[in-house]
Amino acid sequence: MKRVLVADDASFMRQMIRDIIEPEGYEVVGEASDGVEVIDKYLDLRPDLVMMDIVMPKRSGIDAVKGIKKEDPSAVVVMCSALGQETLVMEAIQAGAKDFIVKPFKPDAVVSTLQKVLEKSD
Amino acid sequence: MDLAKYRALFLEEATEHLAEMSRALLALEKDSSSRDAIDEVFRMAHSIKGMAGSLGYDGLTELSHALEDRMERVRSAGRVEAGEGGLPPLFRGLEGLEAMVTHVRDTGEPPPAQPGLAAELAAGSDAPPGDPEPDPKKAPTP
Repeated sequence: MKRVLVADDASFMRQMIRDIIEPEGYEVVGEASDGVEVIDKYLDLRPDLVMMDIVMPKRSGIDAVKGIKKEDPSAVVVMCSALGQETLVMEAIQAGAKDFIVKPFKPDAVVSTLQKVLEKSD
Repeated sequence: MDLAKYRALFLEEATEHLAEMSRALLALEKDSSSRDAIDEVFRMAHSIKGMAGSLGYDGLTELSHALEDRMERVRSAGRVEAGEGGLPPLFRGLEGLEAMVTHVRDTGEPPPAQPGLAAELAAGSDAPPGDPEPDPKKAPTP
């Protein structure tokens, strides 16, 4: 079972991600609500994948990607963005994120994106 | 989707976010270039937009998106502009969001759109990036 760390400052969105991916066989091993906590939890939990909002307090999602990739260049990070954030998404990809999903989430698209990036990283 | 569960989560978080947004706007009344307060309003609008979009509250999504975009421009300018075009539309945006959240709490139904408010925020006259208003405290360049 693949282990996932979910980072979003809204518990609403973290719960929604859980409800989408847990029935598909993913284990949410931790949650983080800001860009500092997600790096700490990544180092502690070493998940297979991080799903991370692009806008977060303390450190932005882009900064947090850089922080995680600095500690673990093989880390797999998928950004959660919204329509109209294409520039930020491109920055996140350049910082090392593997892919992105767009809010509001379409469950099938979320699951297929996770499958795709994990297959590539195996 | 368990709509009742997510509606309850939305009401709890959106109420907190709007209170934080109100505090940040009051901070901007005292210091129109407070980066922390500008970032806070931007993030709260972004977060409300994400939740509202997930629940299909289109009017709320539109207004929070307009406020988020407005705050992105404020971020680029580095400050909220002075005068009627600065803070008053932001406070009206906050009040509009509060009314919409109250509507959801009272009725359980999606709130009606407020296109006038969204348009007002979209039409803001904030200075574009790299072209801030002159600081009157600074001496003019000879």
